[in-house]
Amino acid sequence: MLRVATDIGGTFTDLVYITAGGKVGTAKSHTTTGQFEKGVMDVIKASHITPKEFISFIHGTTIVINTIIEMKGAKVALLTTEGFRDILEIGRGNRPDFFNLEYPKPKPFVPRYLRREVPERISFKGIESKPLDLSDLPAILDDFCAEGVEAIAISFINSYANSAHEEAALSKVKELWPEVSVVASYQITREWREYERTNTAVLSAYVQPIAHRYLDRLNNCLSEAGMRCTPYIMQSNCGVDTLKSARQIPITMIESGPASGVWGAAALGRLIGELNAIALDIGGTTAKCGLITNGEVKLNSNYMVAHNETSAGYPVMVSVVDLVEIGNGGGSIAWVDEFQRLHVGPQSAGAVPGPVSYGAGGMETTTTDANLVLGRINPNYFCGGTQIADMAAVYKELDKLAAILSSSQREVARGIIRIANNSMVNAIKLISVNRGHDPRDFTLIAFGGGGGMHACALAKELGIKKVVIPSLSAVFSAWGMLLSDLRRDYLQTQIVELSGAEAAAQINQALILLEEHAIQEFASENIERSQILFLRYGRCRYQNQEHFVEIALPDGAITSGQINAIIERFHTKYEREYTYRLEASAELVCYHLVALIEVDKLKPEKHPRTGRKLIAAINGKREVDYVEAGIHQATIYNGDVLEPGMSFIGPAIIEESGTTVVIPPGLPCQVDDFGNYCIQTA
Amino acid sequence: MTKQYDPITIEIIQSSLQAAADEMFAALRHTAMSAIIYEVLDMGTGITDKNGELASSGAGIPGFVGVLDKTVKWVIEKFKKLGDIEPRDIFITNDPYNGGVTHLNDIVLVMPVFVDDEIVAWTANIAHWNDVGGMVPGSMSTNATEIFQEGLILAGIKIFSRGKPIQSVFDILTANCRMPDFLTGDLWAGVASVRVGEHRILEITNKYGKDVFLHAVEEYMNYGEQVSLRALKRVPKGKYSLVEEQDKGPAYKVAIEIRDDEFIIDLCGSPDQDKGPFNMSRDEAVTACQMAFKGVTSPDKVVNGGTFRPLKVLTRPGSVFDPIYPAAQGIYYEITIRLYDLIVRCLAQHMPDRLPAGSFASVCGTLFGGTHPDTDRQYAVIEPELGGWGGSSHSDGNSGQFSAAHGETYNCPAEVAEARYGVTVDYLSFHDDEGGAGLHRGGKGVRIDYRIKSDNAWLTVAYTRSRIPPWPLEGGCQGSLNYVLIIRASGPIERYSVVSGLMLNKDDIIRVMTGTGAGWGNPMQRNLELVKEDLKNGFITEEQANRYYGLEKRASNA
Repeated sequence: MLRVATDIGGTFTDLVYITAGGKVGTAKSHTTTGQFEKGVMDVIKASHITPKEFISFIHGTTIVINTIIEMKGAKVALLTTEGFRDILEIGRGNRPDFFNLEYPKPKPFVPRYLRREVPERISFKGIESKPLDLSDLPAILDDFCAEGVEAIAISFINSYANSAHEEAALSKVKELWPEVSVVASYQITREWREYERTNTAVLSAYVQPIAHRYLDRLNNCLSEAGMRCTPYIMQSNCGVDTLKSARQIPITMIESGPASGVWGAAALGRLIGELNAIALDIGGTTAKCGLITNGEVKLNSNYMVAHNETSAGYPVMVSVVDLVEIGNGGGSIAWVDEFQRLHVGPQSAGAVPGPVSYGAGGMETTTTDANLVLGRINPNYFCGGTQIADMAAVYKELDKLAAILSSSQREVARGIIRIANNSMVNAIKLISVNRGHDPRDFTLIAFGGGGGMHACALAKELGIKKVVIPSLSAVFSAWGMLLSDLRRDYLQTQIVELSGAEAAAQINQALILLEEHAIQEFASENIERSQILFLRYGRCRYQNQEHFVEIALPDGAITSGQINAIIERFHTKYEREYTYRLEASAELVCYHLVALIEVDKLKPEKHPRTGRKLIAAINGKREVDYVEAGIHQATIYNGDVLEPGMSFIGPAIIEESGTTVVIPPGLPCQVDDFGNYCIQTA
Repeated sequence: MTKQYDPITIEIIQSSLQAAADEMFAALRHTAMSAIIYEVLDMGTGITDKNGELASSGAGIPGFVGVLDKTVKWVIEKFKKLGDIEPRDIFITNDPYNGGVTHLNDIVLVMPVFVDDEIVAWTANIAHWNDVGGMVPGSMSTNATEIFQEGLILAGIKIFSRGKPIQSVFDILTANCRMPDFLTGDLWAGVASVRVGEHRILEITNKYGKDVFLHAVEEYMNYGEQVSLRALKRVPKGKYSLVEEQDKGPAYKVAIEIRDDEFIIDLCGSPDQDKGPFNMSRDEAVTACQMAFKGVTSPDKVVNGGTFRPLKVLTRPGSVFDPIYPAAQGIYYEITIRLYDLIVRCLAQHMPDRLPAGSFASVCGTLFGGTHPDTDRQYAVIEPELGGWGGSSHSDGNSGQFSAAHGETYNCPAEVAEARYGVTVDYLSFHDDEGGAGLHRGGKGVRIDYRIKSDNAWLTVAYTRSRIPPWPLEGGCQGSLNYVLIIRASGPIERYSVVSGLMLNKDDIIRVMTGTGAGWGNPMQRNLELVKEDLKNGFITEEQANRYYGLEKRASNA
C-alpha cells in the first residue's frame, strides 16, 4: 500500500513514496531523455518497490516545456479567421533587447504556408457577424496532409465570447481527418487576446502527439508492471489531473515541477501554521520563488516560455503558479567580464560536466564549488557521500579567477556566494515587494538541493524572521504532489460593470454556465457533482484600466445587495497591491472558476521521538566561512539522526544525503514534529 | 590615504540600483490607468546621482533612457537656492523648454532622495498622458504652430511639498484636461513609482552607508564609460556625412566623426525649425543621438551617464533639432526616429556588415477617437504601429515590429480594441505592397483595418517615410511606404500620411499600411531554396520571384 510521486527534472528523476504506516522512502535516478518512462521505471526499481503496491501514483514531467524549448514537437498547422493569418507571426511587436538593431524575433511555431484562413466572424459581444464557411476545409486538410502535418490548432477571433465556430470547425476536422491531432483554443482557455490564445492552441497542438505517446507508454509500462490505481499527472495550477484528461490538453503540464514545489510549501505551511510564506526552490540551474498568502498560492494566466532580456518568448495562456525564476543555482558558473567584474550565472555547468568538484572535466567554477571551498559543503560527504569532491581541481580553477581579480581564493569564493545571494534577494523582492507585500511578514520555506545552503543569509538580508527547511527538501517537489487535489481552472473573459441588480444577474448566469460546463465534463469521467468543490473568483479592475486583482466571489446566488461588498473587497485588495484607491467605477473582466476534487492524498504524520540525545547526531566540528557573518568552528549534525524536539544554536551545519543546511552563528534551530528545520533568523 | 572599498559590495549596490529602477518601472506600469502607459509602455523610470547623471534606467523603450537625467539637472538648476528642495518633495514638468525634453504629453516626475539633509540621488519617471488640454483631443495636433496650442505647460513646478500634495496644482491639472480621471490615476501611478525608488535607495544607504553608496554610483558611471570606450575601439574610425531628402521640406544633414575616444554628431547643417510641430528640443536631439550611439557601439543593457561621455552633439539654435521658444514640438517623436535613422543610415553605408538596411522607421503614431456605440462613452486610441525592419548582412529583417524608438512596447490586441473602443478590426496581417527584395530581404509591413462604428469620429496621424521609402544596402531593393487609406462607407478612398482631426463616420474604414523594410544585398544572390520558401509562404508572388530573384532562370541554370 504505497502512495508514490515521481518528478522528472533536467538532471534527475526523483521519487518519494509513503507506506500505509507512514514510512517515507526516496530515490533518485538519472533522467533518461528521449525515453522518460524508462527513468521512471528505473527510479521505481531503485526504490525497491513495485507498482502492484501503488494505491496512488502522481507524476510530474518536464516533457512539455522541453519539447517546446528544444523545438522537437509535431508539425503544426493553424486554422484562423480570415484577415488574421499573420497574428501568430506578428505577436505583440515588442523587443526586450531594445538597443539591438538586429534583434532576433522569435519564430512562429507554424510557418505562413500552414496558416490558413476560414471565412467567419464573431463579434466581441459573442454574436455571429459572418457565418462560418467550411467549404474550403477539405481542400485545406488535403494540403496539410500532403505537407506532413501531424497536428492542427484552431483559433478564431473573439472565440472567448462565443466558441460555436471553433466547435463546428473542430468537429468537421475530426470528421474529415479522424487520425490527426487537433485542438481548438476554446478547449484551453476562454480569455481574450488573440495572439496569446492562438499561440497557446498552437503550442498545445505542437506538444500533443509527443505527450500522447509519452503518457501512453508510461501508462503501459506501469500497467504491465501491475499498477491498478488511476495515474494522476501534476499540472501547472498546483493540482493534479487524471492521465486521461492531461492527455487531452497536455499544455497545462508546462510548469508542473515548480508548481508542486510551491504547492508543497503552501501545504506544509498550513500544516505547521505558517500561512504566509515565500517558497524558494534552488536547483542546479535556476532558483524559483513563489508567494503564499493565507495558505493560498497565486496563479497567473500570462505565462511566458523563454521570455527574457533578449527575447520576447512565447505566451501560454493557462493557469500557472506565479513564479519568479532566475538563472542562479548550484551549477551556475562564475565568470569575469572584460572589465574585471565578477558575475554568477545564468550559464550553468548542468549535470555534465557539472561543477569543477565533480571531477568530470568541468573547468568553470560554480556556486557549488565556492560552497565547498568555504567549508559549507563537506568535501568528504559530497552528494551524500556518493562522490569525491575534486578539491585540487576546484582550487586550480578558482586560482585563475583570483589572479584576474587580483584577489584571494577565499575572497573570490565569498564574492560568488554574495553575488548569488544578491540576485536571489532581488528575485524574492520581485515576487513580494513588487506585488505589494513586505517580505518581513513572511516565513521563508526553502528547498531543492541548494535551498538550505542560502536561505538563512537571504532571510537576514530581507528581514525575514523565520526559515523553514522542510524534511525531504531535496525531493520536496515530488512530496508536494502527494498533497495535491484534482484541480481544474476555468477562465472566461466577460466585462460586467459592477453596479446593481443587472450585474448580479449577469454574474450568476455566467457562473452557472461555467459550473455546468465543469459538471458535465466531470460527469463524462464518472465524477459526481457532490464530489466537486467550486471556488469562484472574479478578476476586477477600475473601468478601462488593464490590470486586475482577483477576488473571491460569494457562494451561491449573488444578490444585488452583495455587489457593494464585492466592490469594497476589490477596492481593499487593489489598494493593498497598488498603494492607492480611485473613485472610479469598478468592473469585472474575467471569471475564474476552480473545481477541486479531493483525491486520496497524503496526510503527513508526525515523526516519532525516540528520546535520542542530540549528541548522537553530532558529526564533529569544522571551520565554516559564513561569508558576511565570518569564519567559525561549526558543529556538524547528521540530519538523518536528528529528530523532533531537538534544538541547537549556530554556527552549525546539517548534512543530509541530498542537501546541506547552513546555520549562521547565534541563530537557533529547532526540529519540529514533522522533521522540518525551523530557524529563527531575527 | 584613499579609502578602500570592497569591489563585491560596490557591484551589489550597482545591481541593486538597476533592480530599484526596474521596480519603479513595475510600479508605474502596474498602477497606470492609460493603455498608452501600461500596454504601449510609453514610459520610463530612472535613478540619477546627486548631480542628475543617469545611474540606472528602467525604461521600457530606448527613447526614454536618456531623458530623465536632463530633467533632474534642470530641476537642480532651477531650485538651487538652499531650502528650495526639501525631503519628500516631488517636481513635475512636461515643458521641453524647461527640462521636459520631449513634448507636453509626456509628464516627468522627479524626487530627491535625502540622507542626513543631503541629496544623495534622484528618482524620476516619465509617462505619456492621454490628454493635457490644447487645441485637439489627445493634445497633439499636426496643425499646431506654437507650444501653447499643445496643452497645459508645467514648466518645472513643485507638486508635492514634504510629502504632501499641493492641492491647487492638482486642481489646475484636472481643470485643463479632457480626461481628468485618467490624469489623476496616471499621476498617482507616477508618484508611487518615484517613492518606491526613494525607499529602495534609502535601504541601500542604511545598509552600506552613504559614502559607500556614493562611491558605488560614481564607479558605476566610470564602468559605463569603460564599456562605451571599449566598444568604440571596435567601430571603424573616420568622418562620415549624409544629406537626406525628407518627405517634405528641406533635406536633413548630419556629419559624424568617430575617433578612438569620441563620437561627434554635428547637426548644425540642418534646416530651420518647422513652422508646425515637427521639431525636437536640443535635449531630445541629444537623446536620439544617444540611442543611435548605443545601438551602433554596444547594444547591451549597461547604460548610465558614463555610457554617453564619449558622445558630443552639436546643434544650431533655430534649427529643427534645436528650435527657439515657443515653437510647437508635439510630433517630436517622428523627428527622433528620423534623426536616429539618419545617423544609422549615414554610418551603415560605410559599415554595411555591422548595420542593417533601413526599416519602416516611423512611429506611425495613430490617434483616433469617438463615441463607443454601446456605452456612449468617449474613447481615444493612441498607438504606434508595427512595421518591417531592414535585412542585414546575416539575416532577413523582422516583420511586424515596432520602430527602433520602441522596446518592450506591446500592440493592442484586436479583441481588446473591439471591446474597449467599439470599433471592428476587420484585418490585422501582413500586406502585399512591393518592396524589400534582397539577398536578405526586408521584414513585412502590416495592414490593419479599423471599421468605425459610430458617426463623428476623428483621426490624427503623422507618419514619415510616406514618400521616400526605406533605404537598401549593398544592392538590395528599397522598402515600401507608410500611409493611411480612408475607405469611406460611400465608396471613395483617400490617402494620408499627415492629417489632424479628419472626420469619420459609421462604417468608414481606417486602413493603416506600414512599410516593408529594405533589402540587404543583391536579390539575385538570395539562396534559391529561400526564394521558393518565400513564394510558398506568399511573401512574394511568382512574378516577383522571377523579376527580383530570377527564380526560373536560376533554377534552370542550376
